[in-house]
Amino acid sequence: MKRLPTFLAATALLAAPALADETTGLTDDAITIGVMGPFSGNASSYSKAEIGLMAFYDMINEAGGVHGRKLVAVQEDTGCDTAKGLAAAKKLIFQDEVFMLQGNSCSGVAVALRPEIEEAGLPWIVAHAVSDTISDPVAANIFHGVPTGNANGRAMAEFVLSRPDTKKVAIIEHSNDWAHSYSNPAQAYLKEHGVEPTEVLTMERGQTDATAQVLKMRADRPDFIIAALYEAETAIFLRDLKKYGLGDIPVMGTAGTDLENTLKRVGDLETVKNYYVIHPYVDNLDGPGMQKWADMIHKYYPDEELTNFSYIAIGSGVALVKALEAAGPDLTRSKLIAELDKISDLDTGVLSAPITWTADDHQGVKGSAVSGFVDGKPTVLKAWGQPY
Amino acid sequence: MLMQLTLSGASQGAIYALVALSLTVVYRSTTVVNFGHGDLVMSGAFVAYVLVVGLGLAFLPAAVIAVVAMFGLGVCFSRGLIRPIRGGPHIGFALMSIALGYTLRGIARTVWGREVLPMPRVFDIEPIFLGDVVLTGDALFTIATVAVLLGLFFAMLTFTDIGKMVQAVYQSERGARLVGINVSRFHDLSWGTGAALGAVGGILIAPVSFLHPDLGASFLIKGFAAMTLGGFGSLGGAVLGGVVLGLAEQYAGAYIDTALIDITAYLLIILVLLVRPRGLFGRKAVVKV
Repeated sequence: MKRLPTFLAATALLAAPALADETTGLTDDAITIGVMGPFSGNASSYSKAEIGLMAFYDMINEAGGVHGRKLVAVQEDTGCDTAKGLAAAKKLIFQDEVFMLQGNSCSGVAVALRPEIEEAGLPWIVAHAVSDTISDPVAANIFHGVPTGNANGRAMAEFVLSRPDTKKVAIIEHSNDWAHSYSNPAQAYLKEHGVEPTEVLTMERGQTDATAQVLKMRADRPDFIIAALYEAETAIFLRDLKKYGLGDIPVMGTAGTDLENTLKRVGDLETVKNYYVIHPYVDNLDGPGMQKWADMIHKYYPDEELTNFSYIAIGSGVALVKALEAAGPDLTRSKLIAELDKISDLDTGVLSAPITWTADDHQGVKGSAVSGFVDGKPTVLKAWGQPY
Repeated sequence: MLMQLTLSGASQGAIYALVALSLTVVYRSTTVVNFGHGDLVMSGAFVAYVLVVGLGLAFLPAAVIAVVAMFGLGVCFSRGLIRPIRGGPHIGFALMSIALGYTLRGIARTVWGREVLPMPRVFDIEPIFLGDVVLTGDALFTIATVAVLLGLFFAMLTFTDIGKMVQAVYQSERGARLVGINVSRFHDLSWGTGAALGAVGGILIAPVSFLHPDLGASFLIKGFAAMTLGGFGSLGGAVLGGVVLGLAEQYAGAYIDTALIDITAYLLIILVLLVRPRGLFGRKAVVKV
């Protein structure tokens, strides 16, 4: 019997994560938000998304915060590495005791974090990673604030097939969860429309040559290529494609790359003139519709070099602030989750598609535009040859 | 397709050969496997990048300065961090080399952490089409540079007094000491040479690939695979192993499955260790009792 209190105390301690305090990480003047991203490593350019998000917090804070509370970011580096990401999440939840989480580039890491965060029960808005399995099946506390791989993959294939006489489509991808989250729904869409990919090729991260892949494509000469590759490998692939005389074949890339930086890396427009990417924004990056967001980031991060990733998390920030405002001054985690579930058809002013969350569906963004070079200038398109 | 794959494989293989050779130079003279070598490859590329892009130097002088700088780093590493632990357990050398590698990587991450950087092309010439075969300036430059470097390296080993000194130390350190060779200094120079040769590999791959702090990791594995294939400690074997690995990656990717490209190095290591553990040119260990 003497051991019973000890046993009960231990049980209570073990159960603590699941019974997280409703107001942990909350004070009268601050809401602490754990912002995880790959701030180091070879995928660290994706952390520009988290920089953009934190600039948005700064803007809200400068305007007085939400119900008098400032949004205080507690930054943690995942390095785009699962083990490091898990350690970062545990630190934020149990050591820093943040109120909620927002951010996360790198799908592989986010997928691995899901069980831990779902059990902990605090709200988590995924602001960059795209893998569907992060938010499907629905977890009460996990919300996806960007187009998922499924939405993007289908949008990619839809754009590919909008080009007249597209019959042969080849796919080149990394063999990781991130790439599959684009290519699997793209392939499913193609098959639904009677198109079987001629080739599904692999190019792993870190490869410095795509000769074998391009030569295989040269034998089939596809009408369109879908490339689910990270930035460096995309540039290498496009270079080799041009090198071996296939530069005239259009290539559809993911939201993991952007036109401007791909052009900068490759060095000449001729190599990237037929490259298209998922473009989840309302305007070109240098267009008037995006200017206010660029100004906002530069106001708080003056030296930040802006890329396609810089703006991707801002839409989910807009949704968070709307939900926090609706939840009122007596904020709790449950109240915030309930208000996030009510976000409907929210025009964020940055994403090309609105955000809608319901209790049954936490994948809030269902579509995406495409960007490609038209007359040498990045142009937002809704279909082949049709400006957005 | 075979010709194109062979050309591309030879170009990649030439880089692997340099990396494997530089690993072997250190291993042969010090018996230390340099686990930080990939990061020396990366560092050489970044030093050249800073000189070319940051300071506006032409590629060739920048490359020479970078190689000399990396030679100096290798020598300093040996004198400053390897010599003091010489009497300790052998694992200490490996751990020290790992520490060096991660330190260099950490510095690069701190400075360039969130960028994938383009290095200006060296020979940005239009590809030459010979039927189906495409010759690019980069591939020709890489193969030619490595061929010349290797020619000079092996000529020096074979025909010069320095080469005889190297052979003497390779055969017996104690014997070399007895005839007056400063073996400690020889070790320093081996570390320097290894770092410099690795840097050449990094500098050659940088314009073809892109620069990021984790660039060296894959080259370390390729270097190990080439060393294993050629035979641990065999300088010529390391070179041949590198070229064979480059070709094997291309052939496996094109004729079997592109997913094999990335694992060819690992498969080679497994295969060689199982079938011929001493590699193509390694000597069978004979223990006299």
